[in-house]
Amino acid sequence: MITFEAVTKRYPDGTVAVDALDLEVPAGKTVVLVGPSGCGKTTTLRMTNRLVEPTEGRITIDGKDIREQNPARLRRGIGYVIQQTGLFPHRTVEDNIATVPVLNGWRRQKARDRARELLATVGLDPALARRYPYQLSGGQQQRVGVARALAADPPVLLMDEPFSAVDPVVRASLQEELLALQHDLQKTILFVTHDIEEAIKVGDLVALFRPHGKIAQFDTPERLLGDPVDDYVAGFVGFDRGIRRLSFFRSQGLSLSTGPLLSADATVAKAQAAGEPWILVTDGGKPRGWIPADSLAARKSDTPLSQLDAEPFGHSFTVGTDSLRAALDAAVLSPAGQAVGVDGNGQAVGVATFDQLRAAIQAAERAADADADGSDNSKKRAAQPGVQRAQSGAQP
Amino acid sequence: MSWSWIPQNWSLIWQLTWENAKLGVLSALYGLIISLPLGIIAARWRWFYPPTLTVVSVVYAVPSLALWIALIPAFGLTDTTVIIGLTAFSLCVILPNVVAGLRAVPAPVTQAATAMGYGPTRRLVTVELPLAAPVIIGGLRVGVVSSISLASLGQLIGVSSLSYLFIDGLQRSFPTEIIVGLVAVIVLAVLCDLVLVVVRRLLTPWQPRRQVALAQWPGLQRAGLQRSGLRRRAA
Repeated sequence: MITFEAVTKRYPDGTVAVDALDLEVPAGKTVVLVGPSGCGKTTTLRMTNRLVEPTEGRITIDGKDIREQNPARLRRGIGYVIQQTGLFPHRTVEDNIATVPVLNGWRRQKARDRARELLATVGLDPALARRYPYQLSGGQQQRVGVARALAADPPVLLMDEPFSAVDPVVRASLQEELLALQHDLQKTILFVTHDIEEAIKVGDLVALFRPHGKIAQFDTPERLLGDPVDDYVAGFVGFDRGIRRLSFFRSQGLSLSTGPLLSADATVAKAQAAGEPWILVTDGGKPRGWIPADSLAARKSDTPLSQLDAEPFGHSFTVGTDSLRAALDAAVLSPAGQAVGVDGNGQAVGVATFDQLRAAIQAAERAADADADGSDNSKKRAAQPGVQRAQSGAQP
Repeated sequence: MSWSWIPQNWSLIWQLTWENAKLGVLSALYGLIISLPLGIIAARWRWFYPPTLTVVSVVYAVPSLALWIALIPAFGLTDTTVIIGLTAFSLCVILPNVVAGLRAVPAPVTQAATAMGYGPTRRLVTVELPLAAPVIIGGLRVGVVSSISLASLGQLIGVSSLSYLFIDGLQRSFPTEIIVGLVAVIVLAVLCDLVLVVVRRLLTPWQPRRQVALAQWPGLQRAGLQRSGLRRRAA
């Protein structure tokens, strides 16, 4: 656990970068510092490993004041990842990763073996071990940066805009992999970004900074989206926060209709008998496309549906595991205005209309509010260790 | 041009070339040894650099012959006099490269090194100096070439070097000897330069290579082709 107690950083010219900051990073959790540039988020991060010394206040890691430790030793116990990667250009990938173990006095071969293990952990081919950084893509370099930070298995990781310099596709996959890694490793992570989307995606808790080093709101991502404390937070979070908040609501509470589902060998007559405005044709259980009911009248009643043109259904959502945001998006993109729900094997299990989605969203929000009221008042709640993202299992 | 003169005097040419090489290379090496600590201090404490550079430049402006004559009372007509003078001159090309090389180490790299738990000395030796090496060697190359060229004047104060061939050839109105001396100086300078290019390549396998297509021809040919590019980068 990292604790900031009334930490202030004032520069000689009078600029206040961080102003009486109180913050707690619970053990095993990811806390994201987000805010506009110049808000003090990076300064806060750098004070944690003494790259910047605070003017006032106290920072402790697991109860120990960081000022009472030798800076070099302290830093070897804290992983550090930065945007520009800071990889050593003159060392091979494996020697870059082995940096801290070697500083800690490991034999080089043992450190290199560890480095190769870590390459696999961060999703890189161990054959890259002997390459130099200039021979890697930006995304690969960033993975090496993460591997290097993990090499000595430090309990704490500091990540300063680690994924800001790579393209959006690579960034998304790096974020996913960080979440997967964190699920396994349970590090205490302090993560800085200016991208609120990224903050909401990777953070267990998000500290949104105002300019000049004050925290505007420290909360779970879900509550930041659902219950911003003021206009500044609401503005920073963005106008579509209502939609984005749906990412935190699972879709298992959504009721589905099976009426429009018909297999490809069913006849036009059967489709007409269903009485639905749109028919979802399935093929071996998998969704194939939508047929509008008014196109049925022109065909002979014994024609199988497979001979009719079906409109593409956009994308489906996996019932239970995908969020209501994915379900809503599927409905928006569907020509029928209905989201196609599938099971883990891609078999269509039912469709959801906007009315059904609305009911599920309202139920999920009621459940989230009840959860928040039950656990403490809203803002203190976020400072407690063990707060999980709401896994809304809202039942209608 | 009297070609037969060359094989007849081969051992003389060889001996003078060797003396000349020794004077030039040693001077540049001493220049490097002095420039490294000065450059490290100048890169860390910025105020130290401008006055140091001024002193070094003023020394460089002194004519070599004048500097040697000034040193003769202390060191006589010896190699030492020549080497001290040339070392002083080489500082003017090597020191700025040491400083530029250290300053060009990317800030994120030094910051990452610090954040990883390097102390200042270890960081300097294992991260900053290796990364500055290409620029430092760039300076050393210019230093070696100019020292070899200037060392050939050593004969003026009686120190054996290739300028013996110029002076002797002039006195005897024998152009062959002058041309041979000139060619020897140039060949020596180019060879020393090539050696440094190879050294740089061996020390920096981590640098992006431009002439990848020539990879099947390692060694001198590739090194030679790279020189023009390097000059531009060093400048």
